[in-house]
Amino acid sequence: MRRRALVRLIAAVGVVALFAAACGDDDDDATGGEADTSATSATTAASGATDTSATAAASTDPIVIGAAIDLTGNMAPFDGPALAAAQITVDTVNAAGGVLGRQLELRFVDTALDPAETKAAALDLIQGGADVLLTTCDVDFATPAIQEGISAGLLTIAPCIGTDQMGPSRFGEPGRLAFSIGNLAQDEGAVLAEYAIAQGHSSAIVVPDNLLVYFQNVCQAFTARFEELGGEVIAEEGFASFDGSVNNLATAVSQAGEADVIALCTFPPDISIAVGGIRDAGIDTPIFSPWSGDGNFWIPEGLSDFTFSTYASVFGDDPSAEMNGLIAAMEDAGSAPATGGFVTGAAAIEAIVAAIEAAGSTDGAALAAEFESFSGLPTISGNISFSPELHTVFGREYRMMTFQDGVATFGELLAATSPAVIS
Amino acid sequence: MKYVQYLIDAIALGSLYALVALGIGLVFGVMRIVNLAHGELLMAGGYTLYETNGWPAVLRVLTALAVVIAVALLMERLALRPLRRASPTTTLVMTFAVSFLLRSIAQKRWSAQGKTMNLFTDLNQAFTIGELRIKYLTIAAVVVGGVLLGAVTLFLDRTDLGLQMRATASDERIAQALGVRANHVVVGAFVIAGVLATAALVLFAPQRPVVTPDFGLQIAILALVGVVVGGMDKPSSATLGGFFIGFANSMLFSLLPKGQRVFLDSALYGLVIVVLLVRPSGLFQRETVTSRL
Repeated sequence: MRRRALVRLIAAVGVVALFAAACGDDDDDATGGEADTSATSATTAASGATDTSATAAASTDPIVIGAAIDLTGNMAPFDGPALAAAQITVDTVNAAGGVLGRQLELRFVDTALDPAETKAAALDLIQGGADVLLTTCDVDFATPAIQEGISAGLLTIAPCIGTDQMGPSRFGEPGRLAFSIGNLAQDEGAVLAEYAIAQGHSSAIVVPDNLLVYFQNVCQAFTARFEELGGEVIAEEGFASFDGSVNNLATAVSQAGEADVIALCTFPPDISIAVGGIRDAGIDTPIFSPWSGDGNFWIPEGLSDFTFSTYASVFGDDPSAEMNGLIAAMEDAGSAPATGGFVTGAAAIEAIVAAIEAAGSTDGAALAAEFESFSGLPTISGNISFSPELHTVFGREYRMMTFQDGVATFGELLAATSPAVIS
Repeated sequence: MKYVQYLIDAIALGSLYALVALGIGLVFGVMRIVNLAHGELLMAGGYTLYETNGWPAVLRVLTALAVVIAVALLMERLALRPLRRASPTTTLVMTFAVSFLLRSIAQKRWSAQGKTMNLFTDLNQAFTIGELRIKYLTIAAVVVGGVLLGAVTLFLDRTDLGLQMRATASDERIAQALGVRANHVVVGAFVIAGVLATAALVLFAPQRPVVTPDFGLQIAILALVGVVVGGMDKPSSATLGGFFIGFANSMLFSLLPKGQRVFLDSALYGLVIVVLLVRPSGLFQRETVTSRL
């Protein structure tokens, strides 16, 4: 009986764990359930916020940017460097006189990626007078904060979400206040395909990680643009991080046939198993990866012919002196970046400043309208664009980087001709 | 020929999970504790390998072994010994809490960003027989798994401490009345579990070179399912269960149509449900066997 009870208990724990896992990666839900119910209140709150911010604009109080972000959980490697870069940029802006005669103030609360803490952090920041809200770089984890931000009528920004879900496509009409400074997956997949074609590759194996919509979208965009340009995708070998399937990837790829390039859309730690397995199987085909392949902390020893697109080179050879200066400042601040994603924090502040200056206020709706009109806005991360439909950056120039013998070097700056259209 | 390659891949993965399952099964056999924190022993060893990058490989492994055993003993002494008479539910929750605590400590110390272990990467090289590719790591996992399972079985059957473990597993109160020192037995079990976890880590490290706070959890959860599927009461059935779950996971991935691989977990756990319905005591355990090593 005792043993049977144990088995039942384990089964119950397993069911709960499976349920939690299913809830945790539901990026597939392109429509946020809560967004619909909050549409009315968001509109009301937005109009209310107009009055207060109109008053605020005339004051000399600091413009408060509140950040409900993760500094200790799984998103900390993304959020932490972005926050550090944002703080440096805030200091720079303030040293130059601020915005509309007001200083910027960056306040942050660590959400530890807990949904309740995330919601509470956003509420605390909003009630404490935040004029703009920053959130963590994963749309699912950020949703509790995003809902609070857009419901309060605030411009709500994630530094580096890469799907098109940061905006109306997920949050409905109130989502017009939500934006991401990250690269749009459809844009990033397109630039990888264009680079592959430019390198003379005409056939590809596409390997999407089904764990996240971002990975699926990048690989779909790669396929779409690659085929538009005359390339042939000979096989798609999907897998999912954390379910053990990556261990079989090398065999699957080797049996898929010979191609000029492999488009691999996944992230650490499983990217290490995937790339290592492919190379150990004797497959030397060039591998192309989006930003999730940035950094040298995961690479197999002596990795070669591995190309990735990113925001900035953290390997000492970025073509922009301004970027290298920011990296040096972060190193001085004890926050040396491991990937190029940090710069989205700086770009977020620059975009907010540009919007406030253009709108003449901190009203969320006015700022969102400015964001939607940005076309090639110059930032330290390159020129960025949004549209009423796409609230995640497109048109930015990517740093195309390649590992040879374990060393990453900058290749060229390249922007996609346009985001790819995916179904 | 491709199906033979699938079999080789499946044996490779199954062998790795078998080693983890052996450690979990041993602790359950002796203490009747489902140790949800077993994976964190691998994690602790993984971060030790990261911190000792640059040292001679043997020294790194020995250091990892020392750390893993130390963590296992601390786990037993501080968290589980005080609950020796508590219900299985209480100890299960305790091991869950210990697992969470250790992962949180790792996250605070090393962050969620992975760290590279760089150990025995040459084991990833493969030799070929015709079109078949066999990694040296696969050979190592099968050999080490077989040797360790044999060693544990011999230990339980042929040594005084092994006999005491079996007696404790059968009835702790009677064993104590007969002079068995329960603390010694349990400490012995945790030391062996630490050795097994280190062995599993050394074989996982070449293939999964990046350690994260969740490194052990991802491995141990699947191994634990394997232990239940195989049969929890005997290390041999637990080990075979671990092998089965890794083997099945790999085969299902290879055999599912490409567009249906998103259903790998569904297929695997559907298989687990079927097995447990048909063989509730475990796939590799006689229905009449009850609670003994």
